[in-house]
Amino acid sequence: MTAKNSAKYKRKNLKPMLKPKSVAIIGASRDPSKVGHVILQNYINSGYEGKIYPVNKSGEDILDIKTYKNIGDIKKKVDLAIIAIPAQFVPQVLEECGKAGARTAVVVSGGFAEIGNVDLQKQMADVAEKYGMPTLGPNCLGVMDSRSRSDTLFLPTYKLSKPQIGGVSFVAQSGAVGSTILDLIVGEGFGMSKFFSYGNAAHVDEVDILDYLMHDKETRVIVMYVEGINRGKEFLRIAKEAGKKKPIVILKAGLTAAGQQAAHSHTAALAGNYQTHEAVFRQAGFTIAHDIKDLLYYAKIFASEPEPNGPRVAILTNGGGAGVLTTDAIASTRDLRLAEFGKETTAALKKTMPALVNIRNPLDLAGDADDKRYGDALAALQADQNIDMLIVITLFQTPGADSRVASKLIEYKDKSAKPMINISIGSSYTMMHKIMMESAGLPVYDSPAAAAAALSELLRFYKFKSRK
Amino acid sequence: MMKTNLLDYMKARDLLSKYGLSSIESAYVESAKEAINFSKGKKIVLKVLSDKALHKSKAGLVKADLSGEKEIRDAYEYLEKKARPLQPCKIIAQRMSKGGIEIIIGSNTDPEFGKTVLIGLGGIYVEAFKDVAIRIAPITKYDATDMLQQLRSSSVITSAGARAPMIESILMKVSRMVNDHPEISELDLNPVIITEEGYDIVDIRVLE
Repeated sequence: MTAKNSAKYKRKNLKPMLKPKSVAIIGASRDPSKVGHVILQNYINSGYEGKIYPVNKSGEDILDIKTYKNIGDIKKKVDLAIIAIPAQFVPQVLEECGKAGARTAVVVSGGFAEIGNVDLQKQMADVAEKYGMPTLGPNCLGVMDSRSRSDTLFLPTYKLSKPQIGGVSFVAQSGAVGSTILDLIVGEGFGMSKFFSYGNAAHVDEVDILDYLMHDKETRVIVMYVEGINRGKEFLRIAKEAGKKKPIVILKAGLTAAGQQAAHSHTAALAGNYQTHEAVFRQAGFTIAHDIKDLLYYAKIFASEPEPNGPRVAILTNGGGAGVLTTDAIASTRDLRLAEFGKETTAALKKTMPALVNIRNPLDLAGDADDKRYGDALAALQADQNIDMLIVITLFQTPGADSRVASKLIEYKDKSAKPMINISIGSSYTMMHKIMMESAGLPVYDSPAAAAAALSELLRFYKFKSRK
Repeated sequence: MMKTNLLDYMKARDLLSKYGLSSIESAYVESAKEAINFSKGKKIVLKVLSDKALHKSKAGLVKADLSGEKEIRDAYEYLEKKARPLQPCKIIAQRMSKGGIEIIIGSNTDPEFGKTVLIGLGGIYVEAFKDVAIRIAPITKYDATDMLQQLRSSSVITSAGARAPMIESILMKVSRMVNDHPEISELDLNPVIITEEGYDIVDIRVLE
């Protein structure tokens, strides 16, 4: 990076957007079908503890809350102005927000560059810049913070429950993909810290958000969905810094997009837009996801698992086939390999396991394995210095596997200094145990390939982090 | 997109050598006689260089493994004919590489991120397998190592022990070169032949 580029870079303070002590909702409405109404209602229902100022040009109170005609009439500090009004009025209203001293803004309204109104969007961004007022959007869902309970999303709550509080923050350019992810993580054991849907990125973009989240103490893992990147060089610089601090999982759309330039060389023909983005992510140490489900698979391993000491994996299973499939999955990664049990482990297992159990990796405990057998095996494997990571397969369809087995796994997970994950494949009875184990911090995978890929990425991240 | 200009082969070769990148001995030849003199009894390759031909082998513009006056003369005359519609063009004579694994090393300019560095399995496999690793220049030693490891063909390319550090060093030098020369918009070293003794840069395309 040239010094010139870095000098131009100005960090935007997004804290008042996520942790506002006061919010003004401009375009708040009495009409329940209006976005401005839904947002206001959500602030009232969510348990948000700051001040709420509805703003509506009629000035009539909404939902029994004092309503203002103009943000300038509030005469109190506004940390976050949420703007949900028709696009053509946005620059003017944002100007009023700036004059009133609002610290940040979220413009949820659509009708800007996405339909060709590039000039209107530029006007909006210029106002934001003039007042040094970080402004998210337009054409976005906005932000959600599970701790401050500030939430500008206007999704019907009956369709979408809120995820629990945790350490994973999500960033999605697209509101639709964003809300899909939000819905999916409700079914996962890890919790969410923050959520950003930043839409057209007229002012605050992925660079600002990444810069904010890498310094955010509540965020342990960053998960991103991007369609394009606005400021390539700044992104690369911030990404390299962020990638050393925290695990970052990214899904980039546009693998098959047509090349943007005519190539005169083989290199240019091979280094397309997507490939170059992928290069940037790799160089910054990001985990590259290829599917929406990958985002969750990687998010959960980073959310709960410690640094592995090495690449050696032990597999514990109550089904021979699943053990073999997992062995294959381990072998198809570049870096993981099967551990060889130490002598003491083998001796200990010979004492505790029934004769039908073959003492080798993968360790097949057989279909009648109960909580005691799992516990004895886990005790031996956890103590073995030749094992760096553990995959415990529990096929809940077998006679021996029930909630006691899940409890035993949780007990050993709590004691484990090594990464330890679970594979459980099945429907409702399995799902019940998945939730039980994940809520206790044991990540559960529904496929051997996903489990192996997750461990491989965990290993890769810590290797990258400790590189010279 | 600006109009690009293909840098003269010998100038490109000089530029590479400034960065410690040695490419195979080459000279322009304007007659069969000059080509025969260049060969000094050793095997040579004759190629037509033209802005109008990116795929030289496919277009039949390369004659390899030539030795002896007659073979060289026939090849020269054949290429001279082929070259006529491709004016302006030149014929270049090169020492024949002893052969080995062919890789591609290159660079281009991304509109968002700037200069890139690329490595991949090269020669005729480039487009078939698209087994390439890309990074944004300037790259670090770690990036260079990581690029090699990222390739599916990594073990094939580096199979002879000390090759990995050598290839990494080529990548670092290319990164430095394109970073120092903003006017280089695209670069192909394709193929770079990894031999038992070292490497031969056999073809160079520098686009400005």
